[in-house]
Amino acid sequence: MPARRDNPTARVTSNVLYLICTVASFVIVGVLILITGYLVSIGISSISLDFFTRVATGDPNDPGGMKHAIVGTLMLLGMASLVGVPVGILAGVYLSEYADDSGRLNSAVRFTADVLSGLPSIVVGIVGYELLVVPMNRLFDIKYSGYAGAAALAFIMVPIVARTTEEMLRLVPGSYREGSLGLGATKAQTILRVILPAATGSVITGVMLALARVAGETAPLLFTALGSRFLTMDPSQPFPSLTAQIYTYATGPYEKEKQMAWGGMLVLIAILFVLNMLIRYVAHRSVRKFQVS
Amino acid sequence: MTPAPTSPTSPGTAAPAAAPATEPSMSAMPLVSRPVVGIASPEQSATSFIDAIKAGKPVTSAVHPSLLKADHIVKVDDFQLWYSQNKALHGVTMGFPRSKVTAMIGPSGCGKSTLLRSINRLNDLIDGVRVAGKMTLSGDDVYAPKMDVINLRKRLGMVFQKSNPFPMSIFENVVYGLRIDGEKRKSVLADACESALRAAALWEEVKDRLKGSALGLSGGQQQRLCIARAIAAEPEVLLMDEPCSALDPIATLKIEEFIRSIAGRITVVIVTHNMQQAARVSDNTAFFYLGRLVEYGPTADIFQNPMLPETESYVTGRFG
Amino acid sequence: MSGLSMETATAATLAGSPRPARHRPPASGISRFVDSGLRWACRGAAATILLMLILPVSVLLIQAWPAVHRFGAGFLVSSEWRANELEIPVRDAAGKIIQKDGENVTTIEPPSFGALPVLYGTAVSAMLALIFAVPFSFAAALFIVRVAPKIKIAGPLSFLIEFLAAIPSLAYGLWGLFVLAPFLATTVEPALISTLGKVPFLSWMFFQDVEIAGATVRRQLPAAGRDMLCGGLVLGIMILPIITAVSRDVLKNVPRAQIEGSLAMGATWWQSCVEMLRYGRAGLFGAVMLGLARAAGETMAVTMVIGNNNQIVLSPLAPAQTMASLLANEFAEATDGLHGSALLYVALILLVMSLLFNIVARYLVVGKNSRTSGAH
Repeated sequence: MPARRDNPTARVTSNVLYLICTVASFVIVGVLILITGYLVSIGISSISLDFFTRVATGDPNDPGGMKHAIVGTLMLLGMASLVGVPVGILAGVYLSEYADDSGRLNSAVRFTADVLSGLPSIVVGIVGYELLVVPMNRLFDIKYSGYAGAAALAFIMVPIVARTTEEMLRLVPGSYREGSLGLGATKAQTILRVILPAATGSVITGVMLALARVAGETAPLLFTALGSRFLTMDPSQPFPSLTAQIYTYATGPYEKEKQMAWGGMLVLIAILFVLNMLIRYVAHRSVRKFQVS
Repeated sequence: MTPAPTSPTSPGTAAPAAAPATEPSMSAMPLVSRPVVGIASPEQSATSFIDAIKAGKPVTSAVHPSLLKADHIVKVDDFQLWYSQNKALHGVTMGFPRSKVTAMIGPSGCGKSTLLRSINRLNDLIDGVRVAGKMTLSGDDVYAPKMDVINLRKRLGMVFQKSNPFPMSIFENVVYGLRIDGEKRKSVLADACESALRAAALWEEVKDRLKGSALGLSGGQQQRLCIARAIAAEPEVLLMDEPCSALDPIATLKIEEFIRSIAGRITVVIVTHNMQQAARVSDNTAFFYLGRLVEYGPTADIFQNPMLPETESYVTGRFG
Repeated sequence: MSGLSMETATAATLAGSPRPARHRPPASGISRFVDSGLRWACRGAAATILLMLILPVSVLLIQAWPAVHRFGAGFLVSSEWRANELEIPVRDAAGKIIQKDGENVTTIEPPSFGALPVLYGTAVSAMLALIFAVPFSFAAALFIVRVAPKIKIAGPLSFLIEFLAAIPSLAYGLWGLFVLAPFLATTVEPALISTLGKVPFLSWMFFQDVEIAGATVRRQLPAAGRDMLCGGLVLGIMILPIITAVSRDVLKNVPRAQIEGSLAMGATWWQSCVEMLRYGRAGLFGAVMLGLARAAGETMAVTMVIGNNNQIVLSPLAPAQTMASLLANEFAEATDGLHGSALLYVALILLVMSLLFNIVARYLVVGKNSRTSGAH
């Protein structure tokens, strides 16, 4: 039998590729930090008190602030959650608690939810236009509206909330269910009083994940909420949002408005960063809870 | 550049369990320099030895005289190992005789697998592992700073608890070692493949589908394939970490037959939970407990006439 | 566990408790109502999810039908995208324009739509993105799994990658528009043109054949900045975090025994990495597909940097258009029925394509995992 021999080529290759992997990782991190760092540093210089307290003026020399857009984004997120979160959680509960695991309907729902979360957001926007804006225009004479924008965002939220809720409810030990049902509780009582409370933290994580995803969306809003320069509380009107306002300003010709776009992006990234930290915190706590129990 | 984080660091604070016995020349000294039978005095009962270990008192391994004079290919001297803060091996001193089959037995967590994985330095991969003491392979210090881990591992073959064929053809699995050595000659590869598969008693079963995926084999066949892979380039020592624990009795039998068939040609160190297996396949048996070598001797003696009552208790199934 | 509660109940009975068993009332009407209400609510929500796929697909199909009917599969191979009618003067056999009553006699060419340029733009920009992103992502995933834990930076590195994956694409678009595109236009592309532009073999990268007044003229492309190259780069940077994160998870799930098996044979660091990559190849391919789906469906970042030119030009230095950017640019203005319908045809193609990518990706990455985690 042949004895083993040294392979210098393999050693050199290995060392070179080890180096390449290391360098490539630092390049990635470097480039990505460069980009975010750039966004932050430019953004900070355009943020002032006016930025948060004033609305857009339409005057390119004094564009005012982004209050309308920040409020608009928060309201859109709130309205989208109002619809998307209950539907998502109920669907998650269905997948985890009611559905027959091997059932064809169940796997169809799960599969659809998975596939939906990969839908291009521009398609969501166009579907929102065709399904909401056009009919509402015919029926109520409402064209672009906050309602349609919120519905488009809810459309994106539902599958994310549903799948995370399902995954999290599955982590709740089966003994909880059997313990409750064994005491004569109905299935609804078991779900509402035992299972959902046990998984609250995890479900909140899912909701925040979905919020983080939709907070940065622009394309679904382009043809639904449209965007607006005005601070409005009336969702039947074209509705402002941070992302739409950033896009309008960034692609426009005016220097001061571009500055506002950078500032708006910084605020958006800050919101997302806080959401991300919260997600990690809540997720960490709720997972630990089940590991202990 | 190849990551090898754990260099043999000597923790200055930790006193060796037994009297420090580091003598100047390793090769010249007898393998076990400490008193051979330190504790087998008649008044000692099974519990007292265990109690001494549990209390952290120094204990001395009982090594049968025939193993002191043997020609050891791997020598272990006062070898200690920590997983972060937990000490897994407390000064093990022993040798593995050339061309013999040595079995390591003992309850879970006794350190037998750890010792096995220390020989080819697979423990290097685990975070926070530190070692002290000495280990040599054919006289070469395994933990010397200048020891090349890749070449060390090329001299050793290893078979794991769960078979781990690579997701490629049977042929490519067997010649993996030669491939990574840069061997390209078809005839060399084909010869190595056939002889290794024959040695592992797998040739007749797979000779018609060498290009087929290794993952299509049964569990027992996969494990014999891993054996063939390990012996394809004649290692100095074949390390086997509970190779049959995931197999059915018939597959186990085939692997035991293999071990018997290579006995006298390749040095085998086998960790096993199964005492009958140790009795069937090995020439010598070492009994470990809580990170210490308790007793080490010819297999027949360990099972029929052990020096220590606690060894007898363990091999007869009264504790462990 | 129900067995356990029964046992305790029996034990209590056997203990001979003097207290008589409390009679528990049967479940009230309200709780029965809530019970079936919740069941139906959950079923409704699940049905909603199914509707969320069926409704969009059918709406797009219905609205796109005029264009589907008119252009059929030829839509995919036609490169003409013209929303306006075209008046073409009629010429006689000698090539002279025919006049009647002092006016040119014209024929009206109806609007025509073809998706080839956007299909091409989408495919090439996504491919460019993969070429930029995949090597870096795999290298970084290997680093995170095989190197970073040893120097205790795997945790922070993973957090960073995950956070970057959550940054909206608009941010990458903003950066691409204001930083990368000008940089490409003023520095990188002129340098490329002055060096590689002289290589005859590569001239297709820098020249474009333009038809002017019936004659074909070879024109050097300007350093535009906002072009296919910029779009591919921005997309590549954008999908880096997601491909890295998914391939990291795939590599993490490679059994330890596979790595140890190859190392025990004396494999070098890289040789054992090759075994990891080989073992995880299906999952890694899924990660790439996921990145491809992202890149192909991405809208805002691409719209901002790709130049939005609805033509097929081989050169990566020429402005281009993707399906998503076409929709973002033209959908709001598409008043004409056929134009809108053609856009919805494009949207339908985009939808079907991303469904396919996602199905393949999910099957490869999570297929096995979700099946094992299925049991309670």
